This record gives sequence, structure tokens and C-alpha cells, in this order.
Amino acid sequence: MKRHAITLTVNEESHQLHILPNRTLQEVLRDDLHLTGTKESCGEGTCGSCTVLVDGQPTRSCLTLAVAMEGKKITTIEGLAQGDTLHPVQEAFVQYHGIQCGFCSPGMILTAYALLQENPNPTEKEIREAISGNVCRCTGYAKAVEAIQSVAERR
Amino acid sequence: MRLPPFDYAEPKSLAEALTLKEQHQEAVKVVAGGTEALVQLKLRLIEPRVVMNIKKIPEIEGIEETAEEIIIGANTSLKTIGRSPILREKFGAAAEAAGLVASPTIAAMATVGGNLLQNTRCLYYDQSEIVLKGLEKCHKRGGKTCLAVKGSTRCFSVYQGDLAPALMAYNGKAVLEKKGGSRTISLEDLFSGNGIQPFTLDPEEILTRIILPKPKGTSGSAYRKLRIRGSVDYPLTSAAAFMVMKDQKISEARVVIGAAGAAPKRVETQLQGKTPQEADLNAIADQAYSLSEGVDNLTMPGAYRRKMVRVFTKRAIQGAIEALKGGK
Repeated sequence: MKRHAITLTVNEESHQLHILPNRTLQEVLRDDLHLTGTKESCGEGTCGSCTVLVDGQPTRSCLTLAVAMEGKKITTIEGLAQGDTLHPVQEAFVQYHGIQCGFCSPGMILTAYALLQENPNPTEKEIREAISGNVCRCTGYAKAVEAIQSVAERR
Repeated sequence: MRLPPFDYAEPKSLAEALTLKEQHQEAVKVVAGGTEALVQLKLRLIEPRVVMNIKKIPEIEGIEETAEEIIIGANTSLKTIGRSPILREKFGAAAEAAGLVASPTIAAMATVGGNLLQNTRCLYYDQSEIVLKGLEKCHKRGGKTCLAVKGSTRCFSVYQGDLAPALMAYNGKAVLEKKGGSRTISLEDLFSGNGIQPFTLDPEEILTRIILPKPKGTSGSAYRKLRIRGSVDYPLTSAAAFMVMKDQKISEARVVIGAAGAAPKRVETQLQGKTPQEADLNAIADQAYSLSEGVDNLTMPGAYRRKMVRVFTKRAIQGAIEALKGGK
């Protein structure tokens, strides 16, 4: 197995990496760049906890080869806040109690962020559809949906 | 779950990809969206020497319209297909099928080529290495038994692609290319009907385009699918229907069912020359029922899935009639 030299742009920072091709983006983000906000749960694309943005599009990092990410702009949950100031979507999840254990939150918040970028005023149905690939096993979805709606309304 | 070791190739042109495919043949796994292939790699169901990512070949991505046809590049994402105005207007079943695949995030990654060429599935096959170690090797894993139908001499794995039934209902064609040549075959002929090796692609070939002939007249189509979890499941039963009207009569009608065997299956409709009101939906549903294989190898009992073939066949035809009234 031959290693590949790639430049990975994560949260507007460039990283020069020398990686094996069989490593997923999720593994490289967590193990090499120590961006542990990205979670792994099912590892097969079902649960959405590993979701990151690739060129603004929510993407399963567990089903993405890191070696294929040369030239792409990756945003992880660590890239949303500005210093100590949370992004309005993150703030809303806190305010509306959209978080309990927090394992699904990075993926769900990034998916919601991408939805609002594309559609600043989504209906409840559109919100539910957008996050339908993000499975939560403790909080439930009502609070998350309310949080996302509140950000849309404030705009 | 970790991926097995492999070498990686990322061709930037189709010519380069075809050369690599010819060179490595079956030892190379072609990957585009990765949503299917990476899972199979993680489960060790496939262990190719080389993984070739074709997603960065722009010449086989996008939807093109000519006077007679719609040409869809194999790299086109399901999100693009679901949202395409021309497909939504004239090929509603294809757009609907794409919109019903997994969740929006997966649909944005997954491609039409990958969706068409997804492997057949079975509860006794799509499992981790640990589970499979405890099972006797079935036909699909190179053994001599079927774990779903005890004593069967053939494989009963199920083709659960969503796009294929819809695209087959339009009499779609597939363009297969290899170094120095290409052939265009009907989508039907892309399937072998054998669950062990479901496709008829040659080892040096790559699926590059899908061609849909434009309907001659007012047409309507619909795709309906049974699943337990809306944002996750593959179809447990599915049906696509397509109809063309001329002078108030149905001039063309095609129904294709999915998740009913190792390949999508065409159902005889005998609707030509009739009005939609005269359509005997029960007769068509009975046909679909008799064609489907209801085996206990997916997440719902086979007998139930088979009964639901009737229901979903009717729903798809009714959906196509509705779409026809809308004049699409």
C-alpha cells in the first residue's frame, strides 16, 4: 500500500499529510488532526454522526476517503464557532435544549447549518427532511427542529 | 470499522480510467460516491487490490438533453437527479426514485452509476466478517449452499437498487466503455439475473452513461417503494410505472418491479389501446405477484414483501395515471 501526499484544507487551515489510501476522512480528522468533534457511530453511513461539510455539502466522513479530499474545503464542527462565540445554530441548540449526550450534535448542527445556507427560511418539513439522516437516540428531534427554526426566524 | 489495505488511483480523464480498468480488470474496484463500496470494503465483502475513484472525471457527470434523448453521466449525483427540472417534468419516476434513496446526505454523495451497479443484498451476506465467519459459505461467497432457502442450488440475494426499475420503465440504455470501444445495451441486459454475479459488465468495462429516450406523446410515470425507516432503508418492495397517451388512449405502458429477485422485473401490462379508466390494475398486480420472489432474506418477511408487491404495483400505476393527468 503506497502512501499519498495530500493537502487537506480543514476549517480554512491547510495540513500537509502523508497518508495511507485506506483511511477515511473521519479517521484522519480525529486521529491525525485531533478534531474529535467529528464522531463515528455506525461507520456505514446510516447514523450521520460523522457528518462534515465538503465544499459546503454535508458528507459522511466515514464513507469518504481522505486521499480523495485534495482541493476540497472541509468544515468540521470546530470550524463553526468564532473563538469563544458559538455560531447561532450552536447557540440555538443550547438554548432550546437540542443537546443531551451530544454525540449526534456535531453532525446535526453541520447539516442544519448547510440547510440554512441553501434555504434561509425552511419549513418544518424541510428541516425534518434535511436532518432525516442524522439519528438521535436521546434528545429526540422536536427540540433540534425548534432550535433550527428559531435561527431561521431570527434572520 | 477500518478499511482493508488497497492501492489508490484517481484518474482525471475517462481514457486514463479505461486504461487502468483494462490493466487491473477484476482486481480494481470502481468507486464514485463511495456510499456502497466503502461499506462493502469495511465488511470485507470485497478486497480489491486497487480502488479507483472515478468521481473526479467531469466528462461523465451531468444531465444533457438532445432532441431525442436525455443523457445522464454515471457520475451524476442522486441529489442532482432528484432536483433536475427536465427529469422532474418528463421522467418523474426517476426523480422520485432518486429522492427516495436513503437520506439527503447520502443522495448528495451517491451517483446514478453506483446506484445501478449496487450488489444484490441478503441478510446472510451483508454482514460483518465476524458474523460471516460463523456461517457456512453460501453461493454468493463462493460456497455451495443458500442460507435463505435451505437446499437451494442457486443464490436468492435481492437487487435493491431504486433507480433501475424507474430507468427500465423508460426503456433506458446503458453505455459501457472499455479501452478502444464502447457498447450501448438496454438496462435490462445490464443484469444477469444471477445473484452471485448480478451484472453483465466485462471486467475491462466501466458504465459511463445512461440514455433515456424522450416519450413520444404526453407521458406520466411514478415510483413507489416500501421501507421501514424512511431515511435509511433500501426498498423492500418497489415498483415503477410509465405511460404514454395518444388520442385519449394509452399508447405505451411499462411496469417494472424491484426488490423482487436478483434483477428488476418487467410486468406485462396489456394496457395499449385502453383508456386509463379501463386499466385492470388487479390483473397487473397479480402478474407482478407471480414474478416476485418472496424469500426471508431481508428485514421484512418474504411472504409479506410479496403481498406488498401487489399493493405497490397498483400505487405506481395510479401514480403514473395521476402524473399523466398533470400532463407531464
